[in-house]
Amino acid sequence: MHEFSGHKRSPFLCLLTKTPLCALFIVDDSLVFWVMWMVRVKNQNMRLEEAVEFAENPEPRCPCVLLLDTSASMQGEPLDGLNVGLMTFRENLIKDELAKKRVEIAVITFDNQVKIIQDFVTADRFEPPMLTAQGQTYMGTAIGEALDMIASRKAEYRNNGITYYRPWVFMITDGEPQGESDRITEQAIKRIRDEEANKQVAFFAVGVEGANMERLGEIAERTPLKLKGLDFREMFIWLSASMQTVSHSKVDEQVALPPPGWGTV
Amino acid sequence: MNPNSAYWQIISASVAGSSHEKQALPCQDAHIYREIDPHQFIVAVADGAGSASLADVGAQLAVKTATQLIEEYLSSVEDTATVDWNTQLLAVVNQTKQAIEAEADHRDILARELATTLILGVITDSTIAIVQIGDGAVVVEDQQGTLMALTIPASGEYLNETTFLVSPNALESAQIHVWSGMPKYLAIFSDGLQMLGLKMPEGKPHPPFFSPLFRFVETIGDRTEAEQQLISFLRSPRVNQRTDDDLTLILAAKMPSSAT
Repeated sequence: MHEFSGHKRSPFLCLLTKTPLCALFIVDDSLVFWVMWMVRVKNQNMRLEEAVEFAENPEPRCPCVLLLDTSASMQGEPLDGLNVGLMTFRENLIKDELAKKRVEIAVITFDNQVKIIQDFVTADRFEPPMLTAQGQTYMGTAIGEALDMIASRKAEYRNNGITYYRPWVFMITDGEPQGESDRITEQAIKRIRDEEANKQVAFFAVGVEGANMERLGEIAERTPLKLKGLDFREMFIWLSASMQTVSHSKVDEQVALPPPGWGTV
Repeated sequence: MNPNSAYWQIISASVAGSSHEKQALPCQDAHIYREIDPHQFIVAVADGAGSASLADVGAQLAVKTATQLIEEYLSSVEDTATVDWNTQLLAVVNQTKQAIEAEADHRDILARELATTLILGVITDSTIAIVQIGDGAVVVEDQQGTLMALTIPASGEYLNETTFLVSPNALESAQIHVWSGMPKYLAIFSDGLQMLGLKMPEGKPHPPFFSPLFRFVETIGDRTEAEQQLISFLRSPRVNQRTDDDLTLILAAKMPSSAT
């Protein structure tokens, strides 16, 4: 039990000895009043910022599917560029406080198999995969897979009371559909057309050196872009900036995207 | 105690979002409140669309036109208890929409460049009449301490899509709420604060958000200092970690008259 002074204890002392600020000041009541006033003034200055509590709402989500061609022709420099580009994508997104929690990335690769190598995960938890190449190009099948993943994800959001932005599919290829039936490709084309018309998704196609740009133009509604050389890094910087734009302030129907300097129409 | 010397105490602020400051964009929120007398006031809050090149102009025009029209209407009315607010508020919104379209014509631009949401309200001691197009919300706490939202943020499937005054379906989509009761506190805000103050998607007000803000407007001493406090709250890191949107907040408290 501590004695702070030889004076008769004031009732205020009992309260104040609990706070470190006041441990040194106990002499008489007038000083005690002054100290209490100082503590209260300090609290008033922090009042709103400290006092107001926020509702717990899940962050709105901005889903983005990366649909990546890993067919044999991508082997070597193109695939290396793509691997580095994915790391750039992640690095840029996580620098943005809001985008890193809101942008959700899924990765589907297509060659003669279609593989979901990353299910939707927020950017701050995205570990870029190392891609390998082989085989033909089951693009139509992959497109169907991407659109199915998006539809499921939206249903999950709705079931969990999570708001979301219009999902993106970003397809990168150095060729055209190969090894699958025309019917499958036609189905994919129709789905893209319908879903774009109903604003269910925004589908972007990027052709790398060797891509059949004309065929890509038939598949995607939006004019496909041709990557300059193998400038994946620039492209992914653009994509992360675009994702940041979408995941931030309210916009009208058309998102004003930064112009792509890495590709040509 | 003379109930007729009771009055409404009101404070407000609009601050540019941190994303807009980074892009050197102006604040695209606008607001006005106008006290008609101690028992009656008008509020208007507008949030310009981020993709509209003159969103700030649209928002300012919307709040100015709407409050002017309502004020003119109120000065022509003998007894506000007889007003059909549904009809009147829709009429004002329609005229405001036309004013924006006329301004677009005058500037030779598309109306969508002036796209903005609008919340317009008339508050008396016993009625709150609100019309809302787009997002943001109006929250009231009555004398019994019941907290409720009078409107909820309107959005389509996607978070960043809402209705604007210039949208073709603006009038059909308008939320109109005429509430009767004994209001004690009121908060009106644009969408930047809705994720912080409301449990979404239901739009249920979060009491620990509003209580400190209502205490704040009730205990205003020095008005300039209080306005600074409100602005620094809206600019605080805690708020900016959750939103980089423009922020508007209007707070009002019914102050009881002091005993004579």
